[in-house]
Amino acid sequence: MAFIPDWWRDFHRRFPGTAQAGLALAVVLLAGAFFHAEGSFFEWGTHRDMLRQVSVYGILACGMTLVIIAGGIDLSVGSVLALCGVLFSLGVIHWGWPGWLAAAMTLGVGALCGAASGIATAHFRVQPFIATLAMMVFARGMAKLVSGGQKVSTAIQGADGSYEYVPTPASFEILNARILGDNIAIVTIVFLLCAIVCWFLLSRTVLGRRLYAIGGNEEAAWLSGIPVKSSKVLAYGLSGLLCAVAGMCQAGQELQGDPEAGAAYELTAIAMVVIGGTTLRGGKGSVGLTVIGVLIIGSLEKILSINAVGEETRLMLTGVIIIVAVMFGKR
Amino acid sequence: MRSLFVLSLLCLSSVHGQSSRTWTVGMSQCNLGEPWRVQMNADIRRAADDHPELTVMFKDAQNDNLRQRAHIEEFLRAGVDAILVSPKEAAPLTGVVRDAYRKGIPVIVLDRRVLGEDYTCFIGADNRKIGRALGKWLVQRLGGKGKIVELKGLMTSTPGQDRHAGFREGIKGSELEVIFEADMKWLEPNARKEMESALARFSRIDAVYAHNDPAAHGAWLAARAAGREQEMLFVGVDALPHEGQVYVRQGILAASFEYPTGGKEAVETVLRVLRGEKVPKEITLLSRVFTRENVEQGGEELE
Repeated sequence: MAFIPDWWRDFHRRFPGTAQAGLALAVVLLAGAFFHAEGSFFEWGTHRDMLRQVSVYGILACGMTLVIIAGGIDLSVGSVLALCGVLFSLGVIHWGWPGWLAAAMTLGVGALCGAASGIATAHFRVQPFIATLAMMVFARGMAKLVSGGQKVSTAIQGADGSYEYVPTPASFEILNARILGDNIAIVTIVFLLCAIVCWFLLSRTVLGRRLYAIGGNEEAAWLSGIPVKSSKVLAYGLSGLLCAVAGMCQAGQELQGDPEAGAAYELTAIAMVVIGGTTLRGGKGSVGLTVIGVLIIGSLEKILSINAVGEETRLMLTGVIIIVAVMFGKR
Repeated sequence: MRSLFVLSLLCLSSVHGQSSRTWTVGMSQCNLGEPWRVQMNADIRRAADDHPELTVMFKDAQNDNLRQRAHIEEFLRAGVDAILVSPKEAAPLTGVVRDAYRKGIPVIVLDRRVLGEDYTCFIGADNRKIGRALGKWLVQRLGGKGKIVELKGLMTSTPGQDRHAGFREGIKGSELEVIFEADMKWLEPNARKEMESALARFSRIDAVYAHNDPAAHGAWLAARAAGREQEMLFVGVDALPHEGQVYVRQGILAASFEYPTGGKEAVETVLRVLRGEKVPKEITLLSRVFTRENVEQGGEELE
């Protein structure tokens, strides 16, 4: 078709799926401009809050993208988030650790959880669905165990049942703050950094190429000498590492570690990845698409929320939009 | 003289017999995912610790009706002396509760009901009454006028419906106006998100009524991030010692209305039944309100 300019075709070839996902986002934003709730939609504060709210999901979705592109799935992200949030809170509140030490410990535990799922999948040939399902249940149990089934907050209960109050740790205040003239939340910056790192990993490193190859055709990848097992373990390990980042962000924003946090977050994260245009079959997609998917779901929720739309309608609309966006993305 | 001796011997032996008698009670909790239910089990455990003659076995049904039914059947086979149960849902558990009751095992039902009359005693609180009391308290506190945000639990759940309906009854006739309402599904992150929307839309909000304390805390975090937490009052429900009561002490919530777990009352009632005393068919728990003024004194009882 001669009337399509070259630069547009070039853009399509270099960034497959981006135009479709971008269009879906534009449609959602247009709906927002229409249902603007007395002008609230046109205020930056509304979008700043939306970006804060999706950041934790977005961080999980970045890790999920790595795993899905390699042909897997990670159902454990919500539970590992809870475990990491609880551990981080215990570190900085109860044990009085400095923020960096608690963060390092939390990142280590998150990566270990991910790597354990990866090892089960790659070395013991357990299906990713089952391996990460097992981790989902295990990590939730462990989150409850280490927290004693209660939220880990700045009110510490003594043996006699009385409470001692400690000041909110600096690391929590930092994660809950906004910068750049109050215009963007720290957690949003963390999300963007995670997205950039994952984008770099996938598109500019050997590991990235290997993950695409494994997701595309695992046997062919193995035959061509790609270390399939270790690459997969790395992908799951990175997903676990990002769960730890998300868990710290969640705890920082809630000012407490909640062992029940993150329930069903894995489903939202998967939906964000898929709406962006990354296929569950593996081998195709990108972190850029996931970021667009995150923005689509976040904006949609925000529009429904500022218009105080009832829960029934919200669920139905979200379902319709997921299916329309995915069908649309297949063109 | 001799008869007196026999009598005192009898007395002694009966006293002795009572103190050496031990009972095993099964407690089936419908799920331990909610902090409130964790607290209920903790209250039962604490109350039972004061009675060495009582051993309580705990089981968690993880929100599964059929698993909970199986747990009660296991209790029956294990030959427990009494059963405490906080059912997930009425219909699926009515049958097994009836079986136990008809076999002569006392069954105390906690918080959520079963159908019919085949149980020993029901212990629970009244969400509608709590909602109504909260509404009246807010009317008084705001001088009969104000703009309210209501963050609802799940409107498909009875506690959500009752806390909503009761509140609307409580503010009826006043000039309190609910300007924004949203479901937050009992979860703090959702409450924060919805509150941000309310803050974006309305330049003045006088009070936030959240159906549970974590949601009220989430709303406070949203208002604080917008620099508007001093503008409004935050009021929640549940008043768990490590949650709502702590928020009130920290000055985050203006008040938290207790939704009592009934754990202590359950242990007291089961002991009375096992000792052969008569207990009422239904015990409605009294609720307390915790405010900044009275939280250190353990709150104040609602009428």
